[in-house]
Amino acid sequence: MAFDDLNRRLGVFALAFAGFLVVFGIPNWVYSPSNIQKLILSPLFWPYVLAGLLALVGLGLLFVRAKPDPETEVHPSGRAGWRRLVSLAVIMVLTMLLLPRLGMVWTSMLAFVATAGMLRTRYPKAAIICAIIMPLVLYAFFAHVAGVAIPQGNYVRLP
Amino acid sequence: MSIYDSILLGLSLVANIEAFLSLFIGIIVGVIGGAIPGLSATMAVALALPFTFAMAPINGILLLLGVYKGGIFGGSIPAILIKTPGTPASSATILDGYPMAEKGEAGRALGMALWASCTADVVSNLALIIFAGWLASFALNFGPPEFFALILFSLTIIAGVSGDSLLRGALSAIAGLLLATVGLDLVYGTNRFTFGDPNLMGGLNFIAVLIGLFAMPEVIAMAWDPTGHLGKARSLGKAWVTFADYKRSFKSIIRGSLIGVFLGSIPGIGAAPSAFLSYSEARRTSKNKANFGKGEIEGVAAAEAGNNGVAGATLIPLLALGVPGDVITAIIIGAFMIHGLQPGPMMFVLNVDIIYGLFMGLIISSVLLFFVGSVAIRGFRFVADIPKRILMPAVLILCIYGVFAVNNNIFDVGVMFAMGWLGYAMLRARIPAAPFLIAFILGPLLEDNFRQSTLMSGGDFTIFLRGPITWFFWALTIVTCIAIVRGAGRARKAQKM
Repeated sequence: MAFDDLNRRLGVFALAFAGFLVVFGIPNWVYSPSNIQKLILSPLFWPYVLAGLLALVGLGLLFVRAKPDPETEVHPSGRAGWRRLVSLAVIMVLTMLLLPRLGMVWTSMLAFVATAGMLRTRYPKAAIICAIIMPLVLYAFFAHVAGVAIPQGNYVRLP
Repeated sequence: MSIYDSILLGLSLVANIEAFLSLFIGIIVGVIGGAIPGLSATMAVALALPFTFAMAPINGILLLLGVYKGGIFGGSIPAILIKTPGTPASSATILDGYPMAEKGEAGRALGMALWASCTADVVSNLALIIFAGWLASFALNFGPPEFFALILFSLTIIAGVSGDSLLRGALSAIAGLLLATVGLDLVYGTNRFTFGDPNLMGGLNFIAVLIGLFAMPEVIAMAWDPTGHLGKARSLGKAWVTFADYKRSFKSIIRGSLIGVFLGSIPGIGAAPSAFLSYSEARRTSKNKANFGKGEIEGVAAAEAGNNGVAGATLIPLLALGVPGDVITAIIIGAFMIHGLQPGPMMFVLNVDIIYGLFMGLIISSVLLFFVGSVAIRGFRFVADIPKRILMPAVLILCIYGVFAVNNNIFDVGVMFAMGWLGYAMLRARIPAAPFLIAFILGPLLEDNFRQSTLMSGGDFTIFLRGPITWFFWALTIVTCIAIVRGAGRARKAQKM
């Protein structure tokens, strides 16, 4: 991807988002008491200022070319890379869904194993041992030392 | 209260085994975190933060400061041994550190890195102790318009020095400011971008945002390229640093420390520019100029002094003004907030015991760093051997527990995941995350002071120019903006030529 393309895309995105905020987002999602006389004192003022600044930066990005920097270029991983990214996203969504049902400890164990498997670790046995021990140790610390009510889930409850 | 009373109050907080242990553990965690490429000192501090919830405020903050100091030094270990900086600040250390490792002098380079780091750390801590109190007493005269001008100035610098693009830095900062508007309005209590969800009424959880931005993208980047981290560690070699080496580099170490103190005390500049400036000054003035870049020990000393000189100085704006000096101190603000403390000039009045306790803890940290660092140099082989494809799932689990523990709320875990993807997208688009986080922290303060000022004046903007302090910060802001724009223009011209 050419870097000036990237800058332009960012510029277009910033302008579009600023426009969306001014036209739809701020009027609909920011509430202001009706008795405020001056806009400057209203809760609407600050978001409008930020939307304006966003538009200005977006305009700047449209017209300023960025210098290429191969050192920070992300190593291309192709289709396999995208597959792993999607897998990780699925792991995160499932983690969110399972946390209240299975509890944090068991969900974390599954998430650990799934992530290590997705990354194709060369040490699967060590990964499984870590997946079991780490959530238990963290549970012991947070639940019994820090006094945090770690979700226990509906099935197996820990002391 | 006299200074002696303050010192005694501080001593009463830190003269116990818990405080020492917190600092010691913090330094160990920091050195290990900094030494593992891909973890970084920032991530180590972010991951350690939730573990401080159950601790006494002073112990929790000392632990995080230990992680910070240890992390900055720890970053030099992989920089020298595998040519991969553990933290961005260690990039300058590679220039001479790695060539020394190639010549079989890695142990000597690491020894000098440790000695220079500890010396710079002491200088930086002394600067903090001398200047923070003075600056805080000056800042006690600040009202909302003065704070608004100060925070605006801080934001200008942050946007200008983050990354290679001013505009992308500004975009990141504005995104952070916008995200900070989510929640109930600060003055009228009306909803802003809450979509009727009670979870959003208090705004987004700061810890979830910062862990999402700084820890999760590394996990996601690992999924994109699981083998990108593999490198080959050099052996330490038989040569070791001598006092003669230290004496020869002493001038560069002190110069680098002072550069670090100066740049570190300006919000937003951070350790990497300081390390490079210190290195280039050392090269410019050294008798062994020709040897720089080929394995000159003075180069390692200068780079390390430059980046460690920043560590104490970044706490000057944090403690005295409540403005974070860099990303790590922005995270440390979280620890203050969680313990019900608000860094800033009033802390020097209301919590003077904690301030002096921190000063003393920081001085002790330099000594502890020396001992931990000496062991860490020899133990890096084991740290480098930790399989990253097991480490990253472990980081994921740590993040989940840590973020949940803040408010006992699963929603925060979702925020962290979302911020992680945002952080990764920003990484891919070369948008720096640091301005985002700092703007997210400073955003409510900026708006609060703006709104208070306009309410005080009934909407009259001239209140923002009401006295010499506001004029000073506005002038600084304008000068900084001009300097940034001119610098960017010059860089563009140089690029075309």
